[in-house]
Amino acid sequence: MAEELLKNEEAEQDELLEDDTQKGKFMTFQTGKEFFGISISYVNEIIAMQPIAAIPEVDDYVKGLINLRGKIIPVIDVRVRFKMEPCEYTDRTCIIVIDVKSTTVGLIVEKIAEVDTIADDSVVPPPTLGRKEHEHNKYVYGLARTEDGVKLLIDPEKLIKQDDIETAMEEVRKEEQS
Amino acid sequence: MKILLAEDDFASRKFMDKQLSRYGECDVMVDGEEAVDAFMMALEDDEPYDLACLDVMMPVMDGYQVLKAIRDIEAQKGIPKSKRVKVIMTTALNDERNVKMAFELGCEAYAGKPIDVEKFEKVLTKLGLI
Amino acid sequence: MAEEFNTESMLDMFLYESGQLLEKLEGIILEKQDADCFDDADINEIFRVMHTIKGSSGVLMYENITKVTHKLEDVFYYLRESHPDDVPHMELVEKVLAVSDFVTAELDKLKNGETPDGDEKELVEDLDEFLGRLKGEIKKQGIQMPQANKHVEPTQFYITPVAGEDSHFYRISIHYRSDTQMSNLRAYSATYALKEVAEDLLYTPDDILSNEASADVIVAEGFHMLLQTKSSKEEVIALIDSSEAEEINFDELTKTEYGNALGEFGREQPAPEPAPVKKDKADAAPEKKEAPKPGDYVVKTKEAGKGKTLAKNQPKQQSIISVNVEKMDSLMDLIGELVIAEAVVLQNPDLKVPGLELSNFQKASGQLSKITTELQEVIMSMRMMPLTNVFQKMRRIVFDVSRKLGKDIELEVVGENTEVDKNIIEHITDPLMHLVRNSVDHGIEEDPADRTSVGKSAKGKIVLEAKNEGGKVYISVKDDGKGLNKEKLYQKALDKGLIENKPMNEFTDKEIFRFITLPGFSTKEEVTEYSGRGVGMDVVVKNIQSISGRLDISSVEFEGSEMTLVIPLTLAIINGIVVQVGNSPFVIETASIKEFVRVGEDSLIHEPSGEEYIVLRGECFPFIRLNEKYDLPDSIDKIEEGIVVVLEHEGSQVCVLIDKLLQEQEIVVKPIPPYVKKVKGLSGCTQLGDGSIALILDIAGLLMHDGERR
Repeated sequence: MAEELLKNEEAEQDELLEDDTQKGKFMTFQTGKEFFGISISYVNEIIAMQPIAAIPEVDDYVKGLINLRGKIIPVIDVRVRFKMEPCEYTDRTCIIVIDVKSTTVGLIVEKIAEVDTIADDSVVPPPTLGRKEHEHNKYVYGLARTEDGVKLLIDPEKLIKQDDIETAMEEVRKEEQS
Repeated sequence: MKILLAEDDFASRKFMDKQLSRYGECDVMVDGEEAVDAFMMALEDDEPYDLACLDVMMPVMDGYQVLKAIRDIEAQKGIPKSKRVKVIMTTALNDERNVKMAFELGCEAYAGKPIDVEKFEKVLTKLGLI
Repeated sequence: MAEEFNTESMLDMFLYESGQLLEKLEGIILEKQDADCFDDADINEIFRVMHTIKGSSGVLMYENITKVTHKLEDVFYYLRESHPDDVPHMELVEKVLAVSDFVTAELDKLKNGETPDGDEKELVEDLDEFLGRLKGEIKKQGIQMPQANKHVEPTQFYITPVAGEDSHFYRISIHYRSDTQMSNLRAYSATYALKEVAEDLLYTPDDILSNEASADVIVAEGFHMLLQTKSSKEEVIALIDSSEAEEINFDELTKTEYGNALGEFGREQPAPEPAPVKKDKADAAPEKKEAPKPGDYVVKTKEAGKGKTLAKNQPKQQSIISVNVEKMDSLMDLIGELVIAEAVVLQNPDLKVPGLELSNFQKASGQLSKITTELQEVIMSMRMMPLTNVFQKMRRIVFDVSRKLGKDIELEVVGENTEVDKNIIEHITDPLMHLVRNSVDHGIEEDPADRTSVGKSAKGKIVLEAKNEGGKVYISVKDDGKGLNKEKLYQKALDKGLIENKPMNEFTDKEIFRFITLPGFSTKEEVTEYSGRGVGMDVVVKNIQSISGRLDISSVEFEGSEMTLVIPLTLAIINGIVVQVGNSPFVIETASIKEFVRVGEDSLIHEPSGEEYIVLRGECFPFIRLNEKYDLPDSIDKIEEGIVVVLEHEGSQVCVLIDKLLQEQEIVVKPIPPYVKKVKGLSGCTQLGDGSIALILDIAGLLMHDGERR
């Protein structure tokens, strides 16, 4: 027990140390034609595609549950989340396990690219012109210019946040019907 | 009053000696065997002790053994219960088992260390010593 | 960790035993509060309880407790010896409770490390007065006065150690001038002086007398002491001979710092001090000394499972050892994991290779299964606790509230030995308390005339009943009061805008009764002191639902109401049948399955609305195709190819179409991650033997959903 605790503590310290080295590092992945980046500090691990137990009656992007070594976590399909057409899962499809505010969620992405270092000053906010506020870019907080093109930086908190207002409205509508 | 104090730890001994000397003449022993010897000697001189304060953890003989020896000697000499020396055990062992054991062996009081001087005095009153 | 294995300290034992006795006492009192008098057995018992507490508090010299219990013991002595008639029973009950409360308060102070300084005078005078009257009564009735109750003053005393809190801890360093001669002797005289006041004293170097070379060390490095004492800093400084000293450093330490410093001084860390959460400060400090030395004979025997003397008298509360609930929970979790791991092994796909000779494996695995099942049963039974304590509390509530409100109420308790999981007990106490208060406050009529006019006895009655049926525990609070008025409930819910505006006859009785559980509903205009302290029935329902239970309400106006909490026996492991629909496995709790049938298309009735029903043996059941409901691909659509499962929940039934049965097994229920929205009809998920995840069907949810749809 004590040993385990110690280990945890060490791990925590490591994390603290890592924080510095993690700064500006982004896990990038490809979905459709676009490259996305997610701050590596959120990323727990990357696992191969797994059998997913579907859950009925949930938002379409919530694909279901997977068994991560005894821990049951939900997985969401990033493509569907971005309102893109879903595509078949292949050998290259991966699950990025992220921890956001003590919620562990798996993100299904088509292809992992690499870990990039992106300096703060190369990030610009996404253009809002010509797009409706609530369109899909709300998960993207910045565009990063790198050597191999533009990467869209994702805010994982917004990504996993359920559309509270939308669902609440739906509930109200349902209730009115019944 | 005549008091027998058996305590091996010097600091405790000094502390107790100082406390007890307020009530009477205090003989100080540093181990269990000495305590029994002193008790015997006092009996033989017909100047028995009124009070014995025994530490439990002592070298050679521990407080329980001393207590038992004292009670055995008294029984053997036919000393009536009311005339027996009053024994207060002093120790940091405060678990119920040890306390009950001491009571069964026939001590009058059991004082947990650090000793609550106020209550200690109260007990002396209740035992009719002061 | 170590302190948990310590034998109980004398004080702990006193607190524990007295606590148990008082609980027992309260039990007797509340059981007999409505009787006309105590019977001989009760009088004896109360006498014995008082006698015991008086005795032990005497030994520990808590004089106020001794005095109070002594007086009450006297009262019961006279009752026991003279059997006078016409004892004012109610008054006596109040006196006993007053004593019990007083002693409990004092014990609580002790538990918190405070001095039990409650003033007993008033209570003793009160009891004296009562005793005086009692004696007068005895004389009047011409009964021979017994000899005065002989009290044996305790002849043995236990002096509780002083709480270490008022001790000070100092670190003292003396640096002598470099030309000081025989600094070791100076150092010694300092220690000698300090021993006068020291409760504990350590110094380094520690061989100041035997080793002359230590003088050089002292001059070079200084002489350091650690002191535990009651004396103040000034007193201590005054004791130290400061001539020749160049510098004296004086630091006051906290106890923890002191403990740490002991290590530096070469003393082993004291026996681990009781964790700070431990309430009993009294035994915190003294353990420090007396590390066993050679020549010590006293061995602190660690006797596992030392039976507490009272346990045997009270078979209902076999709290022989107390175990941290967290530990139980983690053991429970581990066993859950073990069950899963077992399934992973036994159902491992590697074993499915055709032609494999497995008879030895099967034998061994059979043995393993047996052990895990037994292990589960043991841990479950360890977690089971009787409802006795909870019900005891309810008795007290009925007693207090009914007296305060001036209502005459009798409480009947049935089935208090019913056992439920400890976790569940924690969750039902408050809701139950609320229901009981409600019954006393709102249920029973204020005016007895209202009762007699409808042919009921003037005395109200509340029945508190627990029973265990079909894997569920039913706890009901039933009163024979005025019952719920449906019109009033309906009107009120309507006025408050809590329900849809439709005529009352479109609601079933059950639905109308359920209005009282809506947030914002309170049947009484004013909130009284005893019910509705800011929480309503909605909170009760929420609490119960959080442990997958429910609240049933039934009532007949003028005859009374019954509120029933239906709760599961346990939450963690259920017996389930794994079924498959399409590619997804589902788990159905075995207890809710009535039967499996294969039926043909001809048993189906199609409604124009698309609803389907199944007719079985002339009865008609609602029918749900799980594949359609949950939109599962690749599943069987033709009813004759699949299996129909008839499920039952609280008397309503529903048929569900599945593809096939997989296996029956123990299911370790895990919650669906909160990130996923709650899906009606699913109560959780589990991990199957092959590592895949199955969803657990919630029959109540299915039925409800189905009902709503219609």
